[in-house]
Amino acid sequence: MPSNYPGFQYDADRETFSAAKVKALESLLIEKGVITGNTVDTVLGYFETEMGPFNGAKLVARAWVDPDFKARLIADCNAACDELDFPAGMSGAEGEHMRIVENTPAVHNVIVCTLCSCYPWPTLGLPPYWFKDPTFRARVVREPRVVLAEFGVELDESVEVRVWDSSAQIRWWVLPMRPAGTEGMSEEALAALLTPEAMMGVATVQV
Amino acid sequence: MFTKFEHFAATSLMGSPEEAPPRRAGHLHFDRDWEKMAFGVAIALSKQGHYEWEEFRQMLMVTIKEWETTHALDDPEWDYYQCWLTTLEKMIVKSGVLASGELEAEAMQLLNCKATHS
Repeated sequence: MPSNYPGFQYDADRETFSAAKVKALESLLIEKGVITGNTVDTVLGYFETEMGPFNGAKLVARAWVDPDFKARLIADCNAACDELDFPAGMSGAEGEHMRIVENTPAVHNVIVCTLCSCYPWPTLGLPPYWFKDPTFRARVVREPRVVLAEFGVELDESVEVRVWDSSAQIRWWVLPMRPAGTEGMSEEALAALLTPEAMMGVATVQV
Repeated sequence: MFTKFEHFAATSLMGSPEEAPPRRAGHLHFDRDWEKMAFGVAIALSKQGHYEWEEFRQMLMVTIKEWETTHALDDPEWDYYQCWLTTLEKMIVKSGVLASGELEAEAMQLLNCKATHS
């Protein structure tokens, strides 16, 4: 994708070498019978259709309309995932121990992975590029209110901000507050309001 | 190109409401073809049992840490998928899928071949 920002260019030699290395890797692995020509497409297809923020959106929408489900989702996210009709293997890579934290009028939650880029893939898909950025990862811990304001989330001084650092043990994500004016909306319509950013805590849900 | 843009995003772009972080709407997004391949291969090898995903993740953490201790956090050279690729290369050798040096040799051959034919 071409950049909107002229001047941001990769180092040409490094780029050529990286591309060649990956090409070489692919052909060596195919030659040795480790992967086939379709393996990568199969993996990527899985992320495209099975793992993504559409799953998180369904879970949150259900939680908004069903308080009992919400309680179960908060108590045991993976077990609650099993209740919905999600494909087998949902709890695979990066989804082993997901936990959701609820935003309330008193508490706003935001997620980060300070050490690398851990993220609840089954419910949110792959992380956006800025989530992996060293500056974001350092700053959101040091000055979460400032970072949230930069994302457009203005919080009252009385609201407590909690930053949840994901790790191998726990992949955090956020249960956003249901916005006013959505009474009587269907679960499907509610799910359509949700964005990955809202379920990361860097946005609120807009109607 | 977005890699240097990643840095830009978190430092300055993030603050601008009209240029909020791009939404991916749940779709995979890779800026360069080799990122996609490096990502898919890393997952595939883990799924096949050549290494545990957790081992890959730990190695990625080490690789990122190495970069962060040798660069300023806002160094525009930051490139997440370079770290990813470095990690993948380490894991492939560590798990014995390829011998050390095998990948470089093949890559050099590709590059030389390209040079010869262009």
